[in-house]
Amino acid sequence: MVLKNMKLAVVFMFLLFGTANAFAADEGAATAKQVVEKFQADLIAVMKDGKKLGYAGRYEKLKDPVSNSHELTKIARIVVGKEWEKLSEEQQQKLVDVFSRLSIASYAHNFKDYSGESFVFDSEEETTRGGVVVHSHFVVPGDKPVKFDYMLKEKGTSWRIINIIANGVSDLALKRSEYTTILQREGFDALITKINEKIDNYSKQ
Amino acid sequence: MNRPQNGNRSVKMQHTFSGILIGVAITLGGCATTSGVEQQTVANKADPYENFNRKMFVFNDHVDNYVAEPISNAYKWITPQFMQTGVFNFFNNLKNVNVVINDVLQAKFSQSAEDTGRFAINSTVGLGGLFDVAKHVGLEQNEEDFDQTLAVWGVPQGSYLVLPILGPSTARGIPGAVFDTAANPASYIGMPVQLVSMLNARASAEGALKFIDEAALDPYVFTRESFLQWRTNLATDGKSEASDVDGFDDEPLDGNKGTASGQSSPGNADASNKAGFALRLDAETKEFEQASHSFSSVAQSFDDTAKSFEDAGAKLDKLKKSKKYAR
Repeated sequence: MVLKNMKLAVVFMFLLFGTANAFAADEGAATAKQVVEKFQADLIAVMKDGKKLGYAGRYEKLKDPVSNSHELTKIARIVVGKEWEKLSEEQQQKLVDVFSRLSIASYAHNFKDYSGESFVFDSEEETTRGGVVVHSHFVVPGDKPVKFDYMLKEKGTSWRIINIIANGVSDLALKRSEYTTILQREGFDALITKINEKIDNYSKQ
Repeated sequence: MNRPQNGNRSVKMQHTFSGILIGVAITLGGCATTSGVEQQTVANKADPYENFNRKMFVFNDHVDNYVAEPISNAYKWITPQFMQTGVFNFFNNLKNVNVVINDVLQAKFSQSAEDTGRFAINSTVGLGGLFDVAKHVGLEQNEEDFDQTLAVWGVPQGSYLVLPILGPSTARGIPGAVFDTAANPASYIGMPVQLVSMLNARASAEGALKFIDEAALDPYVFTRESFLQWRTNLATDGKSEASDVDGFDDEPLDGNKGTASGQSSPGNADASNKAGFALRLDAETKEFEQASHSFSSVAQSFDDTAKSFEDAGAKLDKLKKSKKYAR
């Protein structure tokens, strides 16, 4: 009897442990597609409440979805190219910080209201260097759909967005040309000032 | 992150502008080549005349602020929305003549049939193009022009150029725009219609210009990069993007590569684009062989044309290099 009970307890514990483990795995190891779709769902949700929330509300609501799905530190690093090595640690930290705020602000500004838009998943594709590209498009009622391709890289157990290509225009390439040009022509402080100006403008409209 | 179809419109508009002053542009573009080289400071492979281009960009910006924008705003203020849409549809429909020609030149025969249907439906049921009926039947507007055709034939893009009034273009885009203008019926209608066409172009670009204003830290670089990427994407029908993305992988993480890595990457992109065109032609060729033998010979001749263009391009490159060293 005692033995049977113990056996049961062991089986029970095993089951419990097993399921707990499975749950943990589910949460940690979101696939690239899941990361993109979760972010798109969050974005659409904010758009639906967009008018009510106002800019500040949208910014607050998008803060976590953006920073959890995008690899902002790495993006900030890539957009300044080889200039990154020339920045002091303080400057690097400042750049990542300001850049993150700009990313969230531009979402909050550009996706401000809802008129039936939706994201549709098309396909998923592995790249040669271990990344994944998630192809999707953004359906705008009464207008041509916009192609959104997300480039993701694995970070720890999860996937993070490092580039978005909208209708063939790569956000990363665009920003990198801009940022490196400004760094070369005008220097670090000018770059930070300009980014802050953009964030200010976004918040005003 | 952003809504790029607006960006495309602005470029579209500048392309429309190119219809009118193309002669002037070519002469001035010629000047650009000489003045730019001497004072080149920031190196960018696609943009060797950046100093000149930046000046032109500022000039165009002023012209837009003081002339084009006020007139366009007035047009938008006095014209009801349904008329603006009608005007937009009308000129968009006329463009389809050019689209069909270029479909054929790029050997996209099924697409050319679709676009012919689109033009026919909108010109009749759509009351001369005022209403975009074809869209509701599932025939979307395609973007084809002579610049893309030249790209498919293997002509290299050449340097980025900002033309006075006309805006962003490339060395290949200039002859492209000349053909486009010639193949667009709107070019032959006469002055008042031309004026409306320009108004329409500027008015439809409003959103895009506003977007650049809001998003760009350096509007010149922003416009250049989005223009070049947009053109490449159109020319390769979206097939170049996957390889483009890979170019960024981990690059800044190994900073030791330094300048070398930075300079080599655009070249790689170029190479991959060329491969993209070649692939396109290959795929088309195969299709034709299955369909009919006469088609396959057409494709063969396209292939040959492409090859000869590429050879010419390589020769020009060599010439350029030898000139540089001679200096």
